[in-house]
Amino acid sequence: MKITRLVVALWLCGFATVVVAQAEDPPVPDKVPAEVPTGPSPEEQAPDAEAVDAAAVDAAAVEADIASQELSGDAKVRLDAARDAVVQIRGYFDKSESSAFHGSGFAVDDGRRIVTNYHVVAQAVLYPRQYRLEYLASEGRTGLLHVLAIDVRNDLAVVAADDLELPALKLRSEIPAQGERAWSIGFPLNLGLTITEGVANGLVENSIEQRIHYTGAINGGMSGGPALDRRGRVYGVNVSVVTGRQLVGFVVPAKHIPALLARAKQPLDVALSAQQLRQRVTAQVLAYEAEVLEAPPDTAGTQRVRGYALPTQISRHVECSTIDERSPHVRVRVEAVRCRTPTRLLVQSGVYVAGLSMQHRILQSVGLHPLQFERQVNRLAAGPRRTGASAHVAPFACRDALVSLDGFDARISTCVRQYRLFTGLYDFDVTVVGIDDASQALVSRLALQGVAFETGKRTMERYLGALQWKP
Amino acid sequence: MEAVMLIEQIGPHGHLVLRQRFEGAGTECRVGRDLGCDIVVDDEHAAPQHALLTLLEDGRVSVRDLGTRNGTRVDGMRVPADAGAIVEHGDIVVGRTRLRLRTRHTPIGTERVFRRDFVRRHRTLLAAAGVSACIAYGGFLQWLDAPSSMLRSVLKAGLVALGLIALWTGLWALISKLNHGSWEVRVHVTIASIGTALCAWGYWVAGLVAFAAQWSVLVRIGVTVVGAVALAALYLHLREATHYGRRIALALAGAATLVIGAIAWIIAIGVEEGDVNRVNLGPEVRLGAERVVPNRDIADYLAEVDELQRTASRERQKSLLNAPLANADD
Repeated sequence: MKITRLVVALWLCGFATVVVAQAEDPPVPDKVPAEVPTGPSPEEQAPDAEAVDAAAVDAAAVEADIASQELSGDAKVRLDAARDAVVQIRGYFDKSESSAFHGSGFAVDDGRRIVTNYHVVAQAVLYPRQYRLEYLASEGRTGLLHVLAIDVRNDLAVVAADDLELPALKLRSEIPAQGERAWSIGFPLNLGLTITEGVANGLVENSIEQRIHYTGAINGGMSGGPALDRRGRVYGVNVSVVTGRQLVGFVVPAKHIPALLARAKQPLDVALSAQQLRQRVTAQVLAYEAEVLEAPPDTAGTQRVRGYALPTQISRHVECSTIDERSPHVRVRVEAVRCRTPTRLLVQSGVYVAGLSMQHRILQSVGLHPLQFERQVNRLAAGPRRTGASAHVAPFACRDALVSLDGFDARISTCVRQYRLFTGLYDFDVTVVGIDDASQALVSRLALQGVAFETGKRTMERYLGALQWKP
Repeated sequence: MEAVMLIEQIGPHGHLVLRQRFEGAGTECRVGRDLGCDIVVDDEHAAPQHALLTLLEDGRVSVRDLGTRNGTRVDGMRVPADAGAIVEHGDIVVGRTRLRLRTRHTPIGTERVFRRDFVRRHRTLLAAAGVSACIAYGGFLQWLDAPSSMLRSVLKAGLVALGLIALWTGLWALISKLNHGSWEVRVHVTIASIGTALCAWGYWVAGLVAFAAQWSVLVRIGVTVVGAVALAALYLHLREATHYGRRIALALAGAATLVIGAIAWIIAIGVEEGDVNRVNLGPEVRLGAERVVPNRDIADYLAEVDELQRTASRERQKSLLNAPLANADD
């Protein structure tokens, strides 16, 4: 009987651990595939690998073995130097004893301030009465943490504990050169303090905010940990990783930290109410969003497809691609232009804001009856399903009308919804369907996530103004 | 002219159970459970000797309660135990049994024109037309999708439509058989298929008109019309298959329509009502179609979009009321 109970208890423990490892990792923002620097695919690599003869392989293996031993020594030095400065940051729900989320952080400045990612502490910032933050320092010391300052835009936060003073790490404000060796430290998947080796690859080219591309392993839980250079200085903060790809990580440059430290005077989560904290987060999002989605300096760029002029550069940072979209029906031909801002802002676990995406699709009937074609057009206009969780957003309010645009008539449907947590942030969903022609139709959609109403409306005006039919 | 009275016992569903005719002044008719009575009722709420009906000289009828505990009622009014009542015609309730009394004084209306004659006379033609319209709608929907194998999907849709009509009609025919002794299959097929076809095609046409007039309320009116047609069809089924009178049939049909409508609403709309991802795009577009209403100017439309800020804010308030935010200080 007792043995049975013990087995059940062990099994439950094992299950709980697995669940923690899988589900409780802090959110590592999943970057959009478009942002992923395109590397050689496995097929392209294969011929190169075959060209190497057997002897060379052996020699290379031996060399690599030696090199890796040397590197491990290097890593050990880095880790030992930084060990005492790095803490694990854990979030607990209410009075719970088991952590709800966790990440990493490191001491800077006078050793009393700890830098981490905003997304690591976001839940505690947005729900200060529900979540508490604790640190776990070396030698197993623990204590309560307070949030001092946040920078949603750069995904940074400064936290501190009353009784904690650690050896501070030194900051390096220059961006490492491409190819410079680098190390990242943190607590991946709650597995204990870990260091990984890799190479800094300079700034990400098409990112709106500065991010350093780090080719090395970063995993959930390492967020907020320091990224070190050869001399043990912090050149950035581990922030995100492209999932499903190989070793593509991103690091926030350390040059953003001093400004944030200057603001870190008193504990925010004690001084401000939950509502004020949310307003502060909203204000930072709005400042970012107003800049990112502002009109481009010159006139909006357009792309011409089948007689339509389709807006592409309606905001400063939009990137477009023309794709061969799979048609909803064999007798409908689709040409699609997709545009989007390369990055969005993570404001809460699973909630990305300040994003723009646009999709123009031109459908052509290949011998369908007008009624049948109409059906396909309506079907395409209704999809795809919008995303959003009822915990974060309120339902849409919609308005549709037939409107004369430049050179053609269209049915425009505008839907707007508000965020539950952030007053002043809106989602826009504008669908335009050209209705003049019974054998060719434009189905275009503009979606904005987490923008001010005014920005949304201005963007929408630019978008509608640029749509044109001019055969 | 000799005095005469006709007493009919009406069953619980309004159909005739028995009819008895009494002639000559002074004739008495005793009602009760006792086998010696002229009208024997199988009703545990009636006394063995319950009421006595006497045909008077002037052709009227005297109704007397024979000292029962439940009493006797004429047209809803209780007959005084000592005096009795004198009536020309009316509904007499003995226990829970309903008797309909008629005498020569009962007014007889003129002949009523048999309105459903047309349906009965052309029932084969009408049934065939209704079923064809239903199958045609199923086929039309399939054709709109432009499937790769047109014949197969049209056939499938036709068979599904046929099967559903057969199931529905079979149910009503069975009720009809139980109540009247005749199946009346073609009449029920006519009602069911023409009702369905009217709903289906009418809804589709409502969508066309809604786009032409840019009036999305029209789709809602379409839904109401579908409900009205369903009500009418149910009413006709009930009238054909049962003995219920107009009012009861109408009430039953109304209740059934409401229940069916509520179920459809829960399935179709109610589930999506609080859905944060539901977008309302308005009536489906018709490409190159004639429109009654002129296009809106872009500036006018953008001015309307401004109102969405308020509507969205209201939606947020509603959402916060339904599911408050986790923190108490908001």
